[in-house]
Amino acid sequence: MKLRPILGYTAAGATVLVAMLTPFVLMGYFANGVAALPLQVDEVYSGGPKARTVQMGAYSIVIHRPVRPHFLQSEKPFVQLDWTPVSALPQHVSDMVDIDGNGQPDIRVTFDVPKDPKAPLRVDVEPLNPRYQAMNSAGKERFSRLIVRVDNAILVRVPLANP
Amino acid sequence: MATNIQLPRLTRPEPRGIGWSLLLTLPIFIWSLLMLFRPGMDTDLKSRIAATITTIFMTVLFFMMMRTGSTYRWRRIFFVSVGVLFPVGFIYNIVLARGTMGIPLEEMIAGRTPFCFMPIPMLILPAALTKTLIFPGTIASTNHGIAPMVGMWLALTLVLGKGWCSYACFFGGIEEGVAAIPARARIRKLDPRWRYGPWAVLLAMVLLSLALFEPAYCMWLCPFKAVSEYVTARNTIGLVQNGIFVLLFAGLVIALPFLTKKRTQCSFFCPFGAFQSIFNKISAFEIKIDKGRCKPCLLCQNACPNLSLSKESIARGETLMSCMKCGACVDACPRQAVVWHIKGTEAACKPERARLMFLYAAWAMAVMFGGTIIYGGVATILHFIA
Repeated sequence: MKLRPILGYTAAGATVLVAMLTPFVLMGYFANGVAALPLQVDEVYSGGPKARTVQMGAYSIVIHRPVRPHFLQSEKPFVQLDWTPVSALPQHVSDMVDIDGNGQPDIRVTFDVPKDPKAPLRVDVEPLNPRYQAMNSAGKERFSRLIVRVDNAILVRVPLANP
Repeated sequence: MATNIQLPRLTRPEPRGIGWSLLLTLPIFIWSLLMLFRPGMDTDLKSRIAATITTIFMTVLFFMMMRTGSTYRWRRIFFVSVGVLFPVGFIYNIVLARGTMGIPLEEMIAGRTPFCFMPIPMLILPAALTKTLIFPGTIASTNHGIAPMVGMWLALTLVLGKGWCSYACFFGGIEEGVAAIPARARIRKLDPRWRYGPWAVLLAMVLLSLALFEPAYCMWLCPFKAVSEYVTARNTIGLVQNGIFVLLFAGLVIALPFLTKKRTQCSFFCPFGAFQSIFNKISAFEIKIDKGRCKPCLLCQNACPNLSLSKESIARGETLMSCMKCGACVDACPRQAVVWHIKGTEAACKPERARLMFLYAAWAMAVMFGGTIIYGGVATILHFIA
């Protein structure tokens, strides 16, 4: 018997074997392999890594590192702030936030916390530092300019003025 | 290359005996039980009924393939069922979870966008160059995560190659079902240059996704957003995107398949299909045309739902690389010149053995993936009617 048919039948048999092993071994093996790759979800979606947390009594503000979009990405640079937990927030929040950690407040963020978790949120951001843009009654406009509730946190993304 | 060997006389194969067909079907029946009654599946009565229906369905279809020697029509019943039942189960679950088919921004930020296989080719370059996945999902997750879906795709692709488009894709069944409705095609002459459409869309989408750093196909061109989920329209751009989804679905998945009896979205447009064609090169299985038997009458070319046969390729004794291994051409050939084939062997050398080996592998994957989708759809329907 020639080599090529032997290789062909071996490959065909291996294909059937791979099919049998797929749900029990291979799928999980490949999935774990992909998960182990040094990849991260784009920060425009995830909000970027956490930089520090500011305690505000019963609740805290998590400040993320500024996110700078890639190449032709349509979003603007922004910084994400998380107010958490929602259950500890007062009905009306108005906080001065020192984003860069230099001891001076950079923005004043004001929003109401409705009891209904599905109620739309609106936020006002008053920049105290020219690096940040103002937001007036902003809702869910775009990834770089929004206020949304995600699980037990209220996220505010403030666009940067000078990319 | 096909070679001519001593051939038996040209007759349609006799149907297999019932006992022999049952014996050949037994492994698939056991496999179906393993897949659909495995630990982790729901154990309530409706789910058990759905699993039983799906097991019987998948087993009977395989039995009919064994009994009749025909592949395409039985596979088509499975594939159309997946295409129809996928939206039923999927839409029900996302509406139950979030109350709408639209993906709100907060769900994308939370990484809860279900990942489908379509954007895989568009993720590769940004991931390779910047270690970033341009998809608002979660990498490792038990449900609809990126890593589990990519893992499943890798495993299925090793087995099926481009056969993914006939045994695994949960979108193609809709247009295959629509294409099956009319008795005859109203549009018969299709410019063969349309075959390059998927490659053009693939190239454009890969480059655009890299430049815009978003899965451009999902954001702008996927016809199946119309029957799965879409970005919630927050502004005019969102409305335009959703309008494009609906128009493409109506044109490529409903109207053109009805008029041409072809899978036009797959043949002219789908970038994932073009990407998957590359993996036909590593598949052990293919379709060959025995030039010694071929007239050529072109019945195979007319039967191909994917424009994967041309006069030139028939003359060479092979299909084009976009062949989905659906079996339509094999079943259509009155001279049994079109055969299932294992690479490296002689053309027409034990084609039934090649068919059986491919079908065992492909149907195992079909039960595992498509069978689970059918199960989900049936369970949803049972939920509503009982």
